[in-house]
Amino acid sequence: MAELRSGFRGGDFTAREIAEAFNAAVAGAKALNAFTVETPEDALACAAIADAARGSDNVASLSGIPLGVKDLFATKGVDTTAGSKILTGFKPPYESRVTENLRRAGAGMLGKLNMDEFAMGSSNETSAYGPVVSPWKRSDGGNAALTPGGSSGGSAAAVAAGIVPGATGTDTGGSIRQPASFTGITGIKPTYGRASRYGMIAFASSLDQAGPMARTAQDCALLLSAICGPDPDRDSTSLDVPAEDFTKSLHAPIEGLRIGVPKEFFGDGLAADVRAAIDAALRQYVLLGAKLVEISLPRTELSIPVYYIIAPAEASSNLSRFDGVKFGHRARDYSDLLEMYKRTRAEGFGDEAKRRIMIGTYVLSHGYYDAYYLQAQKIRRMIADDFQQAFKQCDVIAGPVAPTVAWKIGEKSDDPVASYLADVFTLPGSLAGLPGMSLPAGFGAGGMPVGLQLIGNYFGEAKLLNAAHRFQQATDFHLRKPEGF
Amino acid sequence: LDWVEQLAEVDTSSVEPLTAVIDQKLRLRADVIDDGDIRDAVLANAPNAQHGFFAVPKVIE
Repeated sequence: MAELRSGFRGGDFTAREIAEAFNAAVAGAKALNAFTVETPEDALACAAIADAARGSDNVASLSGIPLGVKDLFATKGVDTTAGSKILTGFKPPYESRVTENLRRAGAGMLGKLNMDEFAMGSSNETSAYGPVVSPWKRSDGGNAALTPGGSSGGSAAAVAAGIVPGATGTDTGGSIRQPASFTGITGIKPTYGRASRYGMIAFASSLDQAGPMARTAQDCALLLSAICGPDPDRDSTSLDVPAEDFTKSLHAPIEGLRIGVPKEFFGDGLAADVRAAIDAALRQYVLLGAKLVEISLPRTELSIPVYYIIAPAEASSNLSRFDGVKFGHRARDYSDLLEMYKRTRAEGFGDEAKRRIMIGTYVLSHGYYDAYYLQAQKIRRMIADDFQQAFKQCDVIAGPVAPTVAWKIGEKSDDPVASYLADVFTLPGSLAGLPGMSLPAGFGAGGMPVGLQLIGNYFGEAKLLNAAHRFQQATDFHLRKPEGF
Repeated sequence: LDWVEQLAEVDTSSVEPLTAVIDQKLRLRADVIDDGDIRDAVLANAPNAQHGFFAVPKVIE
């Protein structure tokens, strides 16, 4: 993205040429199924504005840059489905704050990106519009289609394939970090409350956060600066923290940076190939002047049941609005209102959404609320406190994003719990509301990408991006592309 | 649901539930109308809209 900006501003090429090139790339990569809808005219229209403004004071930070937008964001007049059949054909009459911010910064839109239904999933296999296929293939034989991860699978695949220069994603339990790790790109989830959730179709309100996904930390810093900012009138969970320029301290030296390494992230569940790549990445950080400190996050494994109680509970409440009354799918045959609700929701929701709504409703029900939901919220506080203890000894925390590299599409479909267990390293940061990122750190079995996770303390995004940027100046993993792209 | 039994083993007797990740009081705004006159936009996605209303099966006997 940095090269696109300087090339556009320097007159090497026009914004129109950028938009045309990416529109063609998007049209030529339909096999990935990364997009639910393509909007080439939007990219061209924003390019025209950028070209007219070039050389004047009206050039904004993202003028000339077209982006992919995860289909969880309400985009005015453009289909927004959240990966679900229950919203087929839904065209929001309003724009999400995040996409409005990006547009105000001059960015155009290439299209809406496919995702797990209502952001519930880690492999983009629960989408009602078909799975996204990773542009990566294993190098050790076989042509099996692999998952790009999820729920921001379309965003990750599109960035990794080079058909978009950057994309928006959302992260509730790891949905930016894990697909970034699986596809060898960079992604960051800011501190909870830093990005407005207005217009972001809600899954778990106390966990959802928007964030950028792009090739480099520098690109993510540019996008995150536009994305974040207070929105008090429309999002009551939006923090009163001013917008920040996250590119300012990207180049600061990291000598003396204390990197906490949680021993619980390096247990038996971590695949050997991933462990090797992460260990090598940590050694690289030592070469850059950082100091590794062993820390403990004792309740790491408890984060799985805690999350899979809290998130479905919040989802069961948020998804109750899909009833066929005011918008979205409505069943055709029904004899009364109750039957209309039942048939509409039975037809419109996929299995994973139904599963989570049922779990959520159960744990919130009278008689179970204290044992499940309340207990989970208490343990959540203990998990957040564990991080605060750890941050007394270190500046950032580093470890794997996922226990393995990307798996084959269909491999885990029969056992949803197996994919829940794979979220163990990203869930704790989400529960605590801390900022977290994934950057390409090397390769594992079959030549598949492995991401390094960095977790910062509240409002520590600039430090994370700085640490990632310095790593990317010393390595080239973030420049590697899948074969054929 | 089996794993959630693990949670019962944790002693949380002295812990307050975490309902807000970062403490912030709910902001209030002035009770002033700043929106409106968007009926058609609101009805645009309705599965069944009639006479400017959302139409649903009869609710009251």
